[in-house]
Amino acid sequence: MSGAAPHLRLEGLTRHYGGAPAPAVDAVSLDLPRGALLALLGPSGCGKTTTLRMIAGLERPDGGRILVGGQDVTALPPHRRQMGVVFQSYALFPHMTAAGNAAFGLEMRGLGRAERARRAQAALEMVGLGALAGRRPRQLSGGQQQRVALARALAIEPELLLLDEPLSALDAKLREGVRDEIRALQQRLGTTTVFVTHDQTEALAMADLVAVMDAGRVEQLAPPEEIFERPATRFVATFVGRAARLAGRLEPGGVFRCGGGLALRSASGLAPGPAEAFLRPHRVRLLAPAEAPPPGFDNLLDATLARRTYTGEVIALETETAAGPVMAELHAGTDEAWRGLAPGAPLRLAFRAADLAVFPAP
Amino acid sequence: MRPSWMLRLFAAFGLLVLLAPGALVLVVSFSAGDFLTFPPPGFSLRWYEALFTHAGLMSALATSALLAAAVSALALLVGAPAAYAIARLDFPGRGVLATLLMAPLLLPTLVLGLGLLLVLQPLGLVATWPGLMLGHSLVAIPFAVRIMTTAFAAVPKELEAAAWTLGATPLRAALRVTLPNAAPGAIAAGVLTFLVSFDETVISLFLVGPRLTTLPVEMFRYAERTTDPLIAALAMSLIVFALLMVAVVERLMGFTRAMGRD
Repeated sequence: MSGAAPHLRLEGLTRHYGGAPAPAVDAVSLDLPRGALLALLGPSGCGKTTTLRMIAGLERPDGGRILVGGQDVTALPPHRRQMGVVFQSYALFPHMTAAGNAAFGLEMRGLGRAERARRAQAALEMVGLGALAGRRPRQLSGGQQQRVALARALAIEPELLLLDEPLSALDAKLREGVRDEIRALQQRLGTTTVFVTHDQTEALAMADLVAVMDAGRVEQLAPPEEIFERPATRFVATFVGRAARLAGRLEPGGVFRCGGGLALRSASGLAPGPAEAFLRPHRVRLLAPAEAPPPGFDNLLDATLARRTYTGEVIALETETAAGPVMAELHAGTDEAWRGLAPGAPLRLAFRAADLAVFPAP
Repeated sequence: MRPSWMLRLFAAFGLLVLLAPGALVLVVSFSAGDFLTFPPPGFSLRWYEALFTHAGLMSALATSALLAAAVSALALLVGAPAAYAIARLDFPGRGVLATLLMAPLLLPTLVLGLGLLLVLQPLGLVATWPGLMLGHSLVAIPFAVRIMTTAFAAVPKELEAAAWTLGATPLRAALRVTLPNAAPGAIAAGVLTFLVSFDETVISLFLVGPRLTTLPVEMFRYAERTTDPLIAALAMSLIVFALLMVAVVERLMGFTRAMGRD
């Protein structure tokens, strides 16, 4: 087997709950290289947690295979899979200390008492909790419990690390710090990781690969930048980030004809027909009255400012154009033009053909 | 809303009616007289002294205590796995099993006692330890199952799932993770099944004999023959003992919750 073989491979993984009209997970296939962090991103009920639980062996697929390092583990029970799982609720054992929790997996592997204690302590120190090894879960804060859960999962030196919404129970202030710590630790240890989240910022910030899921299917599997900048489907374009949505028709040559007979250029290679176009605010350039559009900015729109929202770092602009509402944004620190802007002001907007994402109308 | 004084008065009256016989027995147990009369002619500890030196009753007490301990252990050994299966596993006939295990509680103990006698007599098990244990377990096991089902159901399933992912087989996960977290329930079940056996009278009446007899049966017979305050002293001792046991359970998990009726 070559070094480039995927560490985790899902082949047509399917799970159908009895009574449900549609499968919870519908023929999910993906490859994950060794050492990479994959984020399963999607709204609640999209099948991301069910997918994770099937990888862990906690749920049985109705179809498809799970391969880890080329080995088919689909039929293996969870206790023979070597998966380190961090549950959303942490699921720490309340009757054991932090050290006892971290040592549990080693005990199940038949390690001697001294070796267990040493490795459990090392795992707790790795997450910065070496001093609290003797505490029970209820004597720890939410963030500390989360770290114990992580230490417990890592202590067994798992084949894969599986995290189910590990940050959702933390308050917003803690979340960012813990997020970066988990990522740093994961990269240092080189542990292949699957991370379930409904928070796109988390997914984009942490992952090497993001799988955007909806209705049991993977809509797009790509690195974060690609997910954000080049959404593959209409769902990804609406779910990840903000975008203005324009209704219209796609004509031959990638011309998107929208409200007011306006023709916008796109890079779309889709067949002509009813279509929707998405335009992200950070891709829209505001032009000064006499300013010529920069090279490559093929699309020009006349707009009227409808609303300006100051959010500190960014000034969000909502404008009206003949094509419909379009969003743009300015940076409070570097763009001085926003200071003079008031609702009703005429604006000129420019954007590249490639930044208009066109999908067939639903 | 605060209860009205009418309601309070009514509740106080109800409580009085419930507790009055017990209070009466308490007073009479300290009687200095020779008969069960109220008010007693004087007060003394003579009947407590007589109680603890009464060989027949003390031997029956030892039998009952030992029997209750054995029944309690047996009920837990049988009841805990059954309760685990009902609370955790999904299998066909789960509802039927749960109902079957509760059934002995629905039958009059008179019927159970008679049935046991008819079955155990030909086997030569009447007035033997195995016979009594079997009879008492019949009514003790449903309590153990009920309490342990509640206790197991209260332990989050994720804990067990976490144990599996860490390499524990389902059996080890149940023993090392779920069972310890259901321990207060197990203690409650142990105490309550002990009391169920210790107080059991009707079934015992069918199953005891001159060789082996239990305390409630001996009490019953004693009260039939004699009318001295010794029986009041014994009743008081048993009430205090039962209250202590219930206090242990209450302290550990709350009596009402243990019964699964919150």
